[in-house]
Amino acid sequence: MRVMSRQLTHLSDEALVLMAARSEESALAELYDRYGRAAYGLALRVLRDPALAEDAVQEAFLAVWRSAARFVPEKSKASTWILTLVHRRAVDTVRREQRRRADTLERAPEPTVGGVDEDAWLRLQRERVQEALRALPDTQREALELAYYGGFSQSELAERLGQPLGTIKSRMFAGLSSLRALLGETGTEVSWTSTI
Amino acid sequence: MDVHDLTAAYALDALGPDEAQAYQEHLGQCEQCRAQLAELNETAATLAFGAVAPPPPPRLRESILAAAAAERSNVVPLRRRNWAPRALILVAAAAACVAVGFTVAALRPGGTTRVTAALVLAADRTATLQVTGLAHAPTQKTYEAWIIPPGGKARPAGLFAGGTAGSSLKLSGKLPPHAVVAVTIEPAGGDSVATTAPVVVART
Repeated sequence: MRVMSRQLTHLSDEALVLMAARSEESALAELYDRYGRAAYGLALRVLRDPALAEDAVQEAFLAVWRSAARFVPEKSKASTWILTLVHRRAVDTVRREQRRRADTLERAPEPTVGGVDEDAWLRLQRERVQEALRALPDTQREALELAYYGGFSQSELAERLGQPLGTIKSRMFAGLSSLRALLGETGTEVSWTSTI
Repeated sequence: MDVHDLTAAYALDALGPDEAQAYQEHLGQCEQCRAQLAELNETAATLAFGAVAPPPPPRLRESILAAAAAERSNVVPLRRRNWAPRALILVAAAAACVAVGFTVAALRPGGTTRVTAALVLAADRTATLQVTGLAHAPTQKTYEAWIIPPGGKARPAGLFAGGTAGSSLKLSGKLPPHAVVAVTIEPAGGDSVATTAPVVVART
């Protein structure tokens, strides 16, 4: 008997992965409902091609399905694991395709004003991440954005930005560490510009 | 090149194939790098939420589930017993939320009083929102709490008046994992759809 999906909404991500490891499709569906949209947004940002982004997300979720039994909750959160799989697929593809990624140097597009289908939870997460990114020094933000959203390797970044590899490495490390501190901060004041 | 320095780049998937392989070999022997990578990986994955994009086409979900079902019928021919893992799942679910109770306040600028909010989460995922520093709601208005689940729409979770003494509101409905609780100002009696920007946002 399959657990009804209504009940699944109250299970933790990690419990869902455990169920997926037992081939419960409803658990995979629930994980997709939680992270599919973020996964697709990430893949599309890296790949800039809807068809390639769909492929990357599909491959990543099937990797979740196949390797759920090997997931170790003590080592990482399930959401981290899933989004890492998506990112790796997207970066592998963008490098294989040797796509020109010059446009990733541009600023991220402004968020579209909330449509009917806008997901309030995702929007709040996005605003929190973008707020934290804006708080970083420009050089650190640039290194993180080009590496993570642009799919550039550290050597490509060094060449592109005309900086020594060591500088790029320190920017990525400092940027990621600061971002961690910013996102972990509780009681942060945020100015809200959106409605839910 | 010191391989210790590659942790951030690895977390961002910014290493070339040879560098990535060298780093993975190093990870097997370096406890310190494993611990640091776990942290930085989590932060890097959070960047995924910063991307702005339209929703995926509905066929993607169907396609993934169809492919998963097809693999399952090939790979798992035996029907397994259900009871033991189900019990494990319940334990896992309970362990994930026992007595968590947390913080986070965000507020709308417009006063010198600092607003703080805390969510007290019970093991059955019912929750109480405690807010301090929020002025009494204006005449004909009320504060309304909303539960926003991942991937879902905000649903009404109760009304309260605010005030200097602080407010405690038992939220109606359970709090799904990672759900965000937001508070808005609505017409007296509340609304079924939030009509203003949140004045408080709390996360577990």
